[in-house]
Amino acid sequence: MKYSFPREMIRSELEDIVGQHFVSVEETDRLVYSTDWSWMPQMWLDRGERLPMPDYIVHPGSAEEISEIMDIANKYHLPVVPWGGGSGTQGGALPMFGGILLDMKRMNKIIEIDEVSLTVTAQAGINGQQLEWALNEKGLTLPHYAASAKCATLGGYLAPRGTGTISTKYGKAEDMVMSMQIVLPTGEIIRTPPVPQHAAGPDWTRLWLGAEGTLGVITEATMRVEYIPESRLLRAVLFDDLSKALEAGRRMMTRRLHPFVIRLYDPASTKTRVKAILGYDFDGAYMVLGFDGDPDIAALEEEKALEMCAELGGRDLGPEPGWKWWNHRYDFYYPPINLKLPWMYGTTETITTYDKIEKLYWAEKKAVEEGFAEWNVRFIGHFSHWFHWGVMLYSRFIIEEPPQDAREALRLHNRIWNTAMQAVLANGGMINEHHGIGLKLGRYMRKQYGDAWPFLLRLKKMIDPNGIMNPGKVGF
Amino acid sequence: MTATRLDENILLTADNCRYCLMCRHVCPIGHVTGLETLTPHGWGLMIASNRRGLLTWNDESVFKLYSCADCGTCRAHCVTDQPLPETIATARAQVVEAGLAPPAVGRVAEMLQRWQNPYEEQAPEPVEGRGEVALFVGDEATYLRPGLLDAALKLLEAAGIRPVLIGRGRSNGYVASSLGLIEIAHDLARANLEDLAASGARRLLVLSPGDFFAFKQLYPERLQLSLPDSVDLSEVTVLLAQALDRGELAFEPLPPGPPHAYVDPSHSVRVKTRYDAPRKLLAAVIPAPPVELFWRRERTHPVGSTALKFTIPQFADHLTWARLGDARQAGAQRLISEDAGTLKALGDHAARFGVEVLSLYELLASQLR
Ligand SMILES: Cc1cc2nc3c(=O)[nH]c(=O)nc-3n(C[C@H](O)[C@H](O)[C@H](O)COP(=O)(O)OP(=O)(O)OC[C@H]3O[C@@H](n4cnc5c(N)ncnc54)[C@H](O)[C@@H]3O)c2cc1C
Ligand code: SF4
Ligand code: SF4
Repeated sequence: MKYSFPREMIRSELEDIVGQHFVSVEETDRLVYSTDWSWMPQMWLDRGERLPMPDYIVHPGSAEEISEIMDIANKYHLPVVPWGGGSGTQGGALPMFGGILLDMKRMNKIIEIDEVSLTVTAQAGINGQQLEWALNEKGLTLPHYAASAKCATLGGYLAPRGTGTISTKYGKAEDMVMSMQIVLPTGEIIRTPPVPQHAAGPDWTRLWLGAEGTLGVITEATMRVEYIPESRLLRAVLFDDLSKALEAGRRMMTRRLHPFVIRLYDPASTKTRVKAILGYDFDGAYMVLGFDGDPDIAALEEEKALEMCAELGGRDLGPEPGWKWWNHRYDFYYPPINLKLPWMYGTTETITTYDKIEKLYWAEKKAVEEGFAEWNVRFIGHFSHWFHWGVMLYSRFIIEEPPQDAREALRLHNRIWNTAMQAVLANGGMINEHHGIGLKLGRYMRKQYGDAWPFLLRLKKMIDPNGIMNPGKVGF
Repeated sequence: MTATRLDENILLTADNCRYCLMCRHVCPIGHVTGLETLTPHGWGLMIASNRRGLLTWNDESVFKLYSCADCGTCRAHCVTDQPLPETIATARAQVVEAGLAPPAVGRVAEMLQRWQNPYEEQAPEPVEGRGEVALFVGDEATYLRPGLLDAALKLLEAAGIRPVLIGRGRSNGYVASSLGLIEIAHDLARANLEDLAASGARRLLVLSPGDFFAFKQLYPERLQLSLPDSVDLSEVTVLLAQALDRGELAFEPLPPGPPHAYVDPSHSVRVKTRYDAPRKLLAAVIPAPPVELFWRRERTHPVGSTALKFTIPQFADHLTWARLGDARQAGAQRLISEDAGTLKALGDHAARFGVEVLSLYELLASQLR
């Protein structure tokens, strides 16, 4: 691909920094990097339409190189979009205004595994599954079991504040962070404090957790790891009534049991997704429970949990349907059995406290199903990340026969999101729990934060004065 | 047989893979290049975009299309068994038909058409005699690792087997199929099956997982040719390991030496039940516990011995360096494998990494009791 004079100048300056092999302006690469895993751009290409493309795809090899790239971006006012695995669902890595796309995958080294303090330090572009395999060789595990581990990067776990399958016991990805190295939009390479719990001023480490590349580039992270648990118990329980199932989960968490997973499918998901992937034809709400660690303690906790379920009418289905879910939990994402085009779908996941969650669920379901009945929209959900104060609702809408015209389809998609987010906000929910804001949800940030939003805008302006970092994302 | 007569449906796999990221963590080319385009989803999106008029085949995109190593790792890790490598080979066949293939493909095609192998200007040897058991020798064991065949024959003899040699000096058809040369692949496969029929054998032995894959999967899936149902296919290592278990073979252990590792050959992931047999044989001659490479067994990455070495040798070299780097990281100083192509690729670069490369069959034969 041949560019005009100014663009060739910039290309050559970028090549001076990272080397010729690590800058691509080729048409095929620009096409492939024009979409991440979000529905909107995928649909757009599916309908034969073109997307904005990055001007330069750069594979930096170090924080120092990224710092120099920032200089160029500031000088020429070029957008810089960090890209990990491109597995984000919110359009966070889309190069909306072209510019420099920083693919982090060359920075994939494990720097240190500390088997005494149980931490791992790795570069941010390392693939999640590859990191996990390396830890497993030493009997360790990073307890962020994202369903995207096979495709996402460490930086991509942290930038949108991801949550994994076993978060209910081990926390969100952000809770595992000890420390990070970050390249600021102004080029400084900084390191956050070495430990997360201290009292040396405010916890500014967290500014970059959830910034989704709008405040700089995470280049390295030290993460807390765990020993691979000695035992794992899995089991399933079936409830006739979603409300009682939610109450059972609340009791387990507030009475401080330590399940590593409580996955509760609403009756609609149980009847569709669970049936399609696992082959069980259950009526009601299917709940998977998992306990791990010392075998005696895990068994005792499981017994207590089953008692709590039984008190609320939960029927113990035994270990087999629990293990089947565990062993096939990623099958949900493989085509052609996943949710895929030409269908329309969106994950409007949210989180709130236990007192509000059920009302929120019904309100969102009603708003979406009634609002878009003419499209035969289906609303399904599961509750998968539990805290001792509340729970995440992984809600989804699905339309099997959406409009064929790309623009019409995009408009309908946005309208359904608007409806869902209004219901979420009206019922005390957060606009997102773990996929992040990206492009998709930026327009709700002001509504979410009210008077605090201008303060966040000022913060962004201070850290990124020229607005080069990932423009159009997180509402910035 | 032409690309257009191939089942067009296979290209629909591209529609499944274009937005799926679930096997990219095992794709060796994605791993060594770090480029999104050169991952399973990238190839899926390229092929799907070409069909939607968003991407044309030109020098640049064809280079990318030919960058896949056709190693099978993606498919081996795909829960729904999407035939992505087959899809890429089909797209390449269309590119060949359109006259847009890289020049290297033409050169390989000429060699294969004339000599039935891409290595030497020499025709394959005819089948001599008949017997119960046939051994497919192929071109790589003939030209890339002379000595390997004699060692394997010595071991088989010790196990009481004297096979009829077939396909000696002839490609198994994989390279042609992978590069999109479907007619040529078909001719080679048919010639190998004719050799087999001429041998009268009911058991077919192969020296490597690549050959196993060719007869078992590639012929029926990509070329619509099959082994007769009456013929039983197995790898020599599997058969020797069984003989070892039964006490029919015994080896003199080597004196203790530097740390060693077994290298699962290219295409190993395509034969899921094969991983223990060569390790068992190796333990009989080197009893010290081996170190294991990171990219091993179900997640074996190929070395640069696949069809890629003909079209994009620099990527093929990167694959070999990555395995040698893996060995160095694991602390192995001796690498042992049985496949001629794998041995050749490793051997060509081993000195730079300070490791020694040994042939499993030759090692075993030298230690036969
Ligand atoms: C099959 C599948 C399953 C999923 N399951 C889960 C799940 O279980 N839990 C979950 O939390 N999410 C899940 N996701 C969503 C997504 O994978 C995660 O958000 C993931 O962590 C994103 O990582 P990535 O490396 O692909 O980031 P990308 O998609 O490349 O980027 C995401 C955002 O982070 C920014 N970014 C990336 N790297 C850096 C960096 N080094 N520094 C600064 N900013 C950066 C990007 O600019 C972008 O805004 C799933 C996605 C898929 C495809
Ligand atoms: S081969 Fe399977 S796992 Fe890999 S991209 Fe295709 S559908 Fe996904
Ligand atoms: S065949 Fe190998 S190189 Fe090609 S896409 Fe699959 S895993 Fe990657």
